[in-house]
Formats: sequence, structure tokens, C-alpha cells
Amino acid sequence: MVVLRKFNPFNLQTMKKIIFQGLLLIVLFFSTWFVLQQINWVTILRIKQTTEKTEEKLDELLWETIKTTEDENTNQLVLKSVDSLITKICNYNDIERSKIKFNVINKNEINAFAMPNGRLVIYSGLITATENQEELAGVLCHEIAHIQLNHVMKKLIKEIGLSTLISITTGTKGSELIKETAKVLSSTSFDRSLEKEADIKAVEYLTKAEINPEHFAHFLYKINESESELIKYLTWISTHPDSKKRAEYIIDHSKNNKVKNVPVLKDKTWNKLKELLENQ
Amino acid sequence: MIQKTTFIYKPGEHETEKASNSYLMSLITFIVGLPLPIINLLATFFFYISNRKGTYFVRWHCMQALLSQFSVLFVNSFGFWWTISIIFYSETVTNHYLAYMITAIIFNLSEFIATIYTAIQTRKGIHVQWWFYGNLTHLICKP
Repeated sequence: MVVLRKFNPFNLQTMKKIIFQGLLLIVLFFSTWFVLQQINWVTILRIKQTTEKTEEKLDELLWETIKTTEDENTNQLVLKSVDSLITKICNYNDIERSKIKFNVINKNEINAFAMPNGRLVIYSGLITATENQEELAGVLCHEIAHIQLNHVMKKLIKEIGLSTLISITTGTKGSELIKETAKVLSSTSFDRSLEKEADIKAVEYLTKAEINPEHFAHFLYKINESESELIKYLTWISTHPDSKKRAEYIIDHSKNNKVKNVPVLKDKTWNKLKELLENQ
Repeated sequence: MIQKTTFIYKPGEHETEKASNSYLMSLITFIVGLPLPIINLLATFFFYISNRKGTYFVRWHCMQALLSQFSVLFVNSFGFWWTISIIFYSETVTNHYLAYMITAIIFNLSEFIATIYTAIQTRKGIHVQWWFYGNLTHLICKP
């Protein structure tokens, strides 16, 4: 035993010392992290302002490009009707109404998409394809969810790259790239996980806004069935895959909530709106 | 945190060079491996393997350099994946994230400075023992 001790200087005390020092290192790390968390770095580093400014500039450039190539609908009945739906969704879900902007475009495509800085672009083809205002509200909620969950910038960073986005906003990249970015937003899908997240959030928004989510699921079922005939007009569906599956989990998520359906628009207004857009 | 002690024998010129290189190795890979922290550890590990039959002084310092990489590996890996989830998934930049990254930078910087200092001292033949890692190395690395 004496011989062993002579060759092995690490007794229990040394082991204790190592454990103590190791634990102290861990404590030091976590306490530094904890102390630093007390400082509002997001404000100090102006992260929010920088992000907001980049989004604002991107939105401005992209919308300018879309406006020059597409026919914007400025009919007051159309704008007021869509505005009423969005306002109700926002009010019932504590979403700042002024943060959500929208534009309607005269086009037969069944499409709607979200842009940076909270802009929604809705094609008239989508409004005419919906049977009732609840179906349209479902699609609007889905797109608002993309905005609220910050999916738009994530998609752009992934597809275009952060450095390219910044160079667009600083004006060092040409208009071709801006057109390309607008195309990414209007005709490519989000990741499946982000789409599902937006769908589930949309169900939550609809439920809170007293709009039955089953209509949204019905719209997806209906569109899925008519897909083969109308494929060239179904941009929203082609960019949102597995519509049948989506309809199923929307039903699944909403089955436990008994929603009292309170229409936003009067039947007369809704019919007038559809008639107006169908005749355009 | 860093303690200069006397080694059990006086290392020769070739030994001090090799021992010092183990720290330099971790320094170079530290810069390369910042985005992918596992590179640091792997490079130091292979350097240790190539010197495992070296003299006690060389082995001891290779082991200390290797062990010191473990803690930053965990810290940096967590920070790396957190950043990835912010860029590609729905995570956002929060105070928790920024505080973590600043803590990680402080710890990485301390390690960086300590590594440079140890590499210089070891090259001069001075035995430098780090707080915690030195004792742990003594436990693992036998003459």
C-alpha cells in the first residue's frame, strides 16, 4: 500500500479537487451567461431596427416590381371586404393591424403570398375560387401566420442568401435579381415544416376569430380534387403541396374546438364581391 | 488559472518544440474549426495519437491541449446549432441567444490567449499547468 501511494500521488483529495474545479468552470460559464442575459442586447445591437429596415426596403423594392408587371385592383368594395376580414382576424388574435398590409391583383391564378414587412398579395382568382368568406379567411390566416412566424425572411435567406438580400436593399444588385426574389415569394413553397406550422397557427387564428376552420379544410379538399383540370391556375396549391393531407390535419386540429361561426361580411356583400371579380 | 510549475525532469529542445506544437495545432484548427467545432477536437486528437509514443513532457502537453478542446467543443457546438436553427428554422435572435454567443466568445477568447501563452512558455521549456485541465491531465497521463 505504501509503495502504491508513492507512485500514485492522486488520492481522493485530488479527485475531489478536480471535480470541484470542473463544477466551478461549469458554474462560471452559466453564471456569465445568466448575467449577460440581463442586458437587453437586442435593443443595444439594434437587431430589431436593422431587421425591420431591411424588410421595409425589400418590401418597397419588391412591391414596386410587382406593381409594374401586374394589374392592381383598386376597387373599394374589394379592398374594404378583404380589409374587414383581415381586421377581424387581427383584432381577435392581438395582431397589430397596422403591421399587415395587403394588395389585390387582378389575375386568374389561385394564389396568395406573403411578402417581407407584413404585406399580403392576394390574386382575384383566389377570391373567385373560394365558395364563401370563411374559405378566403382560412387562406388569409395561413398567410398572416407566415408573416407572424417570420417565415418570409427565413425563406428568402434560405433561397436567395442573406448577403444577396442585403445587397438588394443597398442598391448594389440589379432589377433582375429583384424580379427573381419576387418570383421566389410568389411561386415557390416554404419548407413542409413551416407550412404545417402556418396551417396550425391559421386554425388558431380562425378559431379565435369565430370562423370555422372546417371551411379552410374544405377549400383544400376541393382544390385537391380539381387539381388536374385547373393545374395551370392553381399556383397556391402547387406551392403548397399535399393539400389533402393538410386538410386532414386542419380538421384534426380543429375537431376539439366548437367554433361559433360569425360571418364578417353580409351575404349580399360577399356575392357582390364575387360577381364583380368574376366579371373582370 | 494558469500556473507555472516544475516538471519532473528538464525537457530537451526537441521535446519543448513538439509540446509547443500541440498548442499551435489547436490554435490553427481553432480558427479553421470555428464554424464546425468538431474539427478542433479531431485535429488535436490526431496530433495526440501521432505523439502518443513521445516523451512524457510531449504526451503531457498534447493531452492538456486535447482536454482543453472538450469544453469549447460543447460550448461551440451548442452555439453553432443554435445559429443554424435561427437561420433555417423558426428560432429568432433573442437576448438568451446573444448572451450565450457573447459568453461563448469570452470563453473562446480566454482559451485562445491561454493557448498562445502556453505555446510560448512550453517552447522555452517552462511547464505550464492549466486550472482543472492540468490536474485532469496528471490523472490521465502517466510517466
